[in-house]
Amino acid sequence: MGTRYIVGRLATAVFTIAMIVLLNFVLFRAMPGSPERILLGRIPNVTPDIIEQTKVRWGLDKPLFPDQFVRYVSSTLRGDLGFSYSARGRPVTEVLWQRLGPTLLLFGLGEVVAIFAGLALGAYSGWRRGGAVDYVGNGVSLVLYSMPYFLLGMGLLLVFATGFGWFPTYGMLTPGATYATPLDLLADLGSHLVLPLATVALGLIGQYAILMRSSVIETLSEDYVTTARAMGLRDARVLRRHALPNAMLPTVTLVAINLGYVVAGAITVEVVFNWPGLGTLTVDALSSRDYPVLQGVFLLLSVAVVFANFGADLIYGVLDPRVRS
Amino acid sequence: MTAPAVPAGLAEPEAARAPRGIVGMLRRIVARPDGSAGLLILVFFTVLALIPNLLVGPLETAVTATGPRLAPPSLDYPLGTDQLGRSMLNLVVHATRVSMVIGFLATLITVFIGAVLGIMSGYAGGRFDAFTMRVADFFLVIPTFVLAIILTAIIRDVLGTGSREILGIRLSLVTIVIVIGITSWSSTARIIRSQTLSLKERAFVDRSRVVGAGGGHIMRRHILPNVTNLVVANAVLTFAGAILTETTLSFVGLGDPFQPSWGQLLDAARNVGAPSLGAWWYFVPAGTCIVLVVFAFTLLGSALDAVLNPKLQARR
Repeated sequence: MGTRYIVGRLATAVFTIAMIVLLNFVLFRAMPGSPERILLGRIPNVTPDIIEQTKVRWGLDKPLFPDQFVRYVSSTLRGDLGFSYSARGRPVTEVLWQRLGPTLLLFGLGEVVAIFAGLALGAYSGWRRGGAVDYVGNGVSLVLYSMPYFLLGMGLLLVFATGFGWFPTYGMLTPGATYATPLDLLADLGSHLVLPLATVALGLIGQYAILMRSSVIETLSEDYVTTARAMGLRDARVLRRHALPNAMLPTVTLVAINLGYVVAGAITVEVVFNWPGLGTLTVDALSSRDYPVLQGVFLLLSVAVVFANFGADLIYGVLDPRVRS
Repeated sequence: MTAPAVPAGLAEPEAARAPRGIVGMLRRIVARPDGSAGLLILVFFTVLALIPNLLVGPLETAVTATGPRLAPPSLDYPLGTDQLGRSMLNLVVHATRVSMVIGFLATLITVFIGAVLGIMSGYAGGRFDAFTMRVADFFLVIPTFVLAIILTAIIRDVLGTGSREILGIRLSLVTIVIVIGITSWSSTARIIRSQTLSLKERAFVDRSRVVGAGGGHIMRRHILPNVTNLVVANAVLTFAGAILTETTLSFVGLGDPFQPSWGQLLDAARNVGAPSLGAWWYFVPAGTCIVLVVFAFTLLGSALDAVLNPKLQARR
């Protein structure tokens, strides 16, 4: 892969992250109420003297630019995102770190399941266009595509947790449970994970299947597929060796681009199932107007999505020689 | 927009086949099964949104509610009641108006920003174009939903949460409209820009420039009529997206309980714990409405795509 291609993509990624940091700074200044008032909170009997001291203490007496901006950027780079208003003043980084694991577990697994199932379903429907699987699969995909994740989650919760009672209705682990063996812990985690995981995966499968289907259909009309057929290759071989590798290219981009949207779904699915991840954290922070945490979430998720896109660009560069130039 | 003098359409040789104006386009959409199904659903919900008071009476509040609490559907309450004893039918029909109006206004703003920036940056090129597209890419990549949450919260705190209304819409919902506009214009801008790039190389633009037309005139009179179809097609998809975004924003607690939308009803259902209580009637009606409307826009979008894009029909 050309160095130029990598450097170009990297420059875009760094530029985007710089914009995100800048936006975060601007948003923080746009907040209602002056920062020193927020820092002092509801402390009664604040004298002008105390306000002045607070300003000096937090560097608020210096001009916005460059002093405050430089300090903001340097502390962000050091991983200091400030302190949560609501979590008894704990550092934002610590709060985020604690919630990262459950989200990664849920959405990492969800993406993997959705990618495999969605691509398989899409490839098969495109290959057997007009068949029963195509007909049903396309309809289901379109409905799933039109449905907000949380609605799907509420439906699954109603049927399988409340109705059949097969799965617990909320959380990641049974509160107050003690586990004799690590296996018991895994079993408990697993039963809590099934419904949110199914929600995430089903929500994504529709999009992946629709894209993969049209991509396969498009590829099948290409000359090289006709050539492969004319050479007398078996159907399965034409599909696997000639059509699929090319049809999968657009999905690499979709998976990465989608991450930005998946985040919205992530937040709501976690809320439906009370999954203790970044999504529930976001909504809790929103209702208590815990701005440092909200901005930390925004920064963390944006940077993650930017890196994912950068990764996808690199993968795409490896897979498709045409984009390297 | 009325039928432009220049045939609205694609490449010039295809102009003869392209639909003339909105009426021609509508006729060809209705002729397709997906187009007519989509339009039918949307007409149904538009009627609900226009005359909710005639259909189910004024919006019930905690004070005027008369029904039993959280009761399943019955003859008196066809869709059941909520925890305050309000008829779900009444709530859902009134929510239709709120959701559709927010979706509509947000679409207008989004498409307006997208079309103006797209045409301008495509036509002007140079630094303005580079800068605008960088910003557009930024909005395409980042998780705009989280940004929308923060923006809504901040704007609402700045403006205050009084009971002021603009055009009959509470200020808190106007905030949502604006935030959706700010965060979702970028894909429209990108699409319109690329069409503008190809349009400005055409002979009729050159001719216009030669006879002395200024940039503003060319953009308004020559570029805009030729991207109108694209703008309409894009607006259809934007509408669906706007409704989903509004629903999701309301679901995380940014809705307005005094003017409930579908998303606000779903949020209320979750807060009451409707799924765990087995109270399916609390969220299934609003949920069905959302899915139907978004599905209708998807159908309409694919019909539009087929009508506007003759090449697509030949291939499939």
